[in-house]
This record gives sequence, structure tokens and C-alpha cells, in this order.
Amino acid sequence: MSNAIDQTRRMLSLVTYLRERPGAEVAEVARAFGISERELIGDLNVLPMCGTSFRGGDLLDIDTDGERIWWHNVDDVAQPLRLAADEATALLVAARAVAGLPGLRAGDREALTRAVAKIENAAGESAEGSARVGVTFEAESHVFADIDRALSEGRRLWLRYYSHGRGGMTEREVDPIRLLTEGHTYLEAWCRTSEDHRMFRLDRVAEIRVLDVPADPPKREPRDLSGGLVNPSADDPEVVVEVSSGGRWVAEYYTHDRAEELPDGGLRITLRSADPSQLRPLVLRLGRDGRIVSPPELAEQARAAALEALAHYGEGQV
Amino acid sequence: MAIAKAERLMNLALCLMNTRRPLSKKELRESIEAYREAWQHSSEEAFNRMFERDKDDLRELGLVIDVDENALDGELGYLARADRNRLPEIALDAEEAAALTLAARVWQQAKMSGAASGALQKLRAAGIPFTETERRPALEPRIPAREAAFEPLLTAARDRRPVTFEYRKAGAAAVEQRTVEPWALECWRGHWYLAGWDRDREDARVFRLSRITGKVRARSGAFLGAVPEHVDVRATVAKFAGEGATATAVVRVRRGAGFPLRTKALATRRADDSWDELEIPYGNGLGADLAEFGPDVLVVGPEELRADVIDRLRAVAGTVVESVDA
Repeated sequence: MSNAIDQTRRMLSLVTYLRERPGAEVAEVARAFGISERELIGDLNVLPMCGTSFRGGDLLDIDTDGERIWWHNVDDVAQPLRLAADEATALLVAARAVAGLPGLRAGDREALTRAVAKIENAAGESAEGSARVGVTFEAESHVFADIDRALSEGRRLWLRYYSHGRGGMTEREVDPIRLLTEGHTYLEAWCRTSEDHRMFRLDRVAEIRVLDVPADPPKREPRDLSGGLVNPSADDPEVVVEVSSGGRWVAEYYTHDRAEELPDGGLRITLRSADPSQLRPLVLRLGRDGRIVSPPELAEQARAAALEALAHYGEGQV
Repeated sequence: MAIAKAERLMNLALCLMNTRRPLSKKELRESIEAYREAWQHSSEEAFNRMFERDKDDLRELGLVIDVDENALDGELGYLARADRNRLPEIALDAEEAAALTLAARVWQQAKMSGAASGALQKLRAAGIPFTETERRPALEPRIPAREAAFEPLLTAARDRRPVTFEYRKAGAAAVEQRTVEPWALECWRGHWYLAGWDRDREDARVFRLSRITGKVRARSGAFLGAVPEHVDVRATVAKFAGEGATATAVVRVRRGAGFPLRTKALATRRADDSWDELEIPYGNGLGADLAEFGPDVLVVGPEELRADVIDRLRAVAGTVVESVDA
């Protein structure tokens, strides 16, 4: 469902587009506008109610038989419209960020850089505000070329991968699905070793090999990533941690179900993890800023790890 | 039935673009059915409010609406002049258009994603080629903006309007009211930051958007201070995150463990059969980073870092395991 602003914006462009293309095909127009045919038909139902005078009958005579679109009283007002400040900003910031993406194919980068210059020029003063917004993607490209090759050739990968939760290296064979960047760059893959969908952070890949085996990830709908790239599943075990004000960052970095304010400025955070013991690094990092409410095993594991570490410093049992 | 807003906005836009002379509010009310209804069934005031909001909305969409005196009767009127609203000539080849189409998809935020699609639609309408590419993009970059403060700050930075908001500094127990002249927004490692002039502290400051609590309110008036030519949000944030450190620390890392430390080590040597000794950059927050590794890392020096890590470990070791709340 689009809102009234987006729909108005689209309809203004639509009349310009239709003006040049009598008998345009519904399917093609929808594709060009990046909308569903249903949305387009919705727009085409509104347009005949629009014009310069309702009572005077001065309305856009646009109609469709569901396959093609006709505009019978084309007027010359439907000129291409200048870009709004937000439009220029959204497009330019995105294009500049992507052009700076490590691992982008050289041809794509060059095309994008040329496009940015042309848009800046056409947007004029609307482009000014775009300098006030910046997006940087991380350079994590040392394994990028191999993954890109495996993806285009549909081949399996062997990884030596650092498991943050376990603190050690794991070796696995994975069938790559796609590469995603949000803050860090992740490989979404079907992990043959754990027989599960996994997100692998590229900066944690120590070694990589493209195997002579075709990749065969299970066919599935792309996952909904609107809440973030790394999302626990709803049936994963619950972890409850209470943090002081110094540990509030946990709520910013970890996808969580609930974060309730505590009287001292702290938070009681409820999150989920497929394997709560993998949150041991988090507990150690939090130190006095956090306390595991449940599961108690996690608190005990962290405590044992801390005691073992202290022993290296010559400290006995506390 | 009330007439949908998109239809009303479209009608206003068409009226303003189709006229060569300014149209008075009354004339627009006569031509546009939705206004007529609002005026007849509600009030003059309801119509006025609706009209003002609609004009603002169309201006947000990029329409330049001039307010001029009508030469005939001297009454104020409105028009969107063709020459001020036309997109200048622009020609993109198929490759450039395809690259731009992919780039426009990166926004995961509703308003920016709508604006980026809107820009592409205007370009398509202007005849920019649209080629559907079967080729899979090498990777899908995504720009998130889940922070509620993002949209109001974006608008305030664009319009150079001061804002006030409640902010909780990292580690602070209480929130504070801040009044800021927003200069620039920057997304780094998936999080948004604002750089601006803090009026109360009379200094340039960087704020993390996720720490802004409650509403961002735009204040009247213009910026009091000058906006610097170049605002480097990233350098400030990266420094806070412990990057660009010049000092170094020496740590022992169990063989096979501590991969992230090994990738940033300046030097690595074998200490004994089971431990390696690493020299690593010593920036802000290293103590917490090292505590994460628990028994796989032993800090050799400097002493303050060693003491910091021991203190953190003691806190965890001393944690009393409490029974699960019922």
C-alpha cells in the first residue's frame, strides 16, 4: 500500500510517461514504475477524476482495458518535472554509497559515477542537501571476489570461519545465496555443516575456497530482513539480561523482543538466541554493566570463563 | 464519501501547472471538488488548513509554487510555472540507468525509499531508458534507518532548522535536553549519527540517533553559527570506537583463538606451545573488547589495560547466579 504522497508523485510522472506512449502496456508501465499492476490500475482509476475543473468537465481522459492505456486528450502540461530535494538526496546518497562499495564490479562503479554527475547537474539546487547525508559501507573485500565467483558460477564454498560465540574457528561447506551489506557485509548461505540458513560476516572469514561442486541451497522465499540482517527465530530460547545505563548499547546492537526501563537508568532486555551459550562473549564484555537473569547456565558459563581467565593473571578463586 | 488525498493533491497540481496567471484561493476552491466539499460541509477554516497542507505537500514533492498578485484584480494567487518546474535535459545510457535503478533500492526506510523511487519515476517519465537486467547484482547493499529521529533530523538538516531533543549519552543514567543546529547525518556500520552545533555547550558535537529519546522538535529561527565547509562525522565516531589509535598493547592469545585480534595485529610472535604474543593498536574501548575473549586472552601490558581487563573479569566472576524470576 502506498501513501498519498508517493501516489501523487507517481501519478504526476505517470501522465508525463503516458503522454509520450499512446497505448502503453499495463505490464510494462508497472515494471518501469516499479509497482504492481494492481497499484497501477489503482492510479488509472484516480487519474480520470483529476484535471483543471471537475464541474467544467476538464478532466484527464485516461482509460485502460486492463492491458493497454490510452490518454485521449493529451495536453502539453505533462512535462518532465524537476527533482525534489528529498528525491535528489535519496537517489544521490544511495548512488554515492553504492559507488564507494568495495567489491563492486568496475563497470558498475563507472556507470554509477557517471550517472551521479548527470543527476547532480540535472537536480541543480535540489542536489545541495545531499551533501548533508553520507553513508559508508565497510571495506571487507578480501574474500569478496571468491564469493562473487561462487555466486555467478553456482558453486559451493569451503570456509574457515570465526565463530564469535564459540571464540574459535570452524570449517564448513556452504551453498551461497546472496551477499548483503548493512553496516557489515554478510554472505547469506545454506550451511551444509549445520543444515541451516546462516549469515556469515565477511570480516570473520579467515580462509575461503571455491569448490568444484555445484551449490544446491534449498529453494525458499527470500527471508524478510526488514528487522535487520541477523534475526533470531521466534522459537529460539529466551535470554533475559539486566543492564545498567552503561550497558544500554546492548539494545542498540542486539535484535530483541522487549527492553523495559529500569529505575536506575538501566534496561531489562529480553532477546532470543538459538544457542544462548554463544552469548558468553556478551556477558564478559558487559562486566559489571550487566547481569544475566536467565538462563542461569549462561551466567555460570561466563563466570567459569572469567575465573579461568583470572587464574592466568595469578588470581585464585574469588 | 470523502475524496482521497492523492486525488485532491493531483488536482491542485494540475490546476497550478495548467495556468498562466496566478489562481486565487477562491478560484481553486471552485475548480477542485474536494475543496468545495470541505468548504461547504465543514468551514472556511477547514478548507484553508487543507489548502495550506496540500501546498506544503506538493512543495515537498518538488513543485515550485509561486505566490503572485493577479494582474487583473490585485488579488494574491498561486501558480506553478512550467519553466521553473521542468527537469533539465538529462541523458543516461542503459548502463547508467540500470546502475542507478539498483542503487535506488538500497533504502530500507519508507520515506527515503519512496523519494528514491519517485526520482527514478521522474527520470523514466523524462525518457531515461528502462532496461530490465537479468543479471544478478553482485551484492545487495542496504541502508537501514530504523531510528525514529532519522526523518525529522533529515528534514531539519535539509532546511537548516535548529532542533531540540532528549538525549541519553553513552552510559548516562539520565536523559538531557539538547538544542542542536543539525549539520550532517552519517551512517556508519549500520548506525546513524548526527553532527551539529550544540547551542548549550557552544561546541560541535556528534550524536548517535539511537540514543535520542522521544520526539525531535524543530525550532523556529535560523542557525546562529556558521556551518563548516566540511563535516567529518565518521572520523569522530571512528575515534570513539577505538580506531585510529596510535598507542599499542601487548596481549597473549591462545593459539587458534582470537581471530579478530589477529587480523588487526601489528606483530605476532610465538610465546610458547599454546600461546602467541600479539602487538595490537590500543584505542578507546579495548578493555571491553579483550574481556570478551575470556580465558583465551591474557593482557601483558600496559598495566592500566591489564588492570581494566582484570577488573572486568572480577565483576563477571563475582556475579552471583540468581534463580530465574518466576
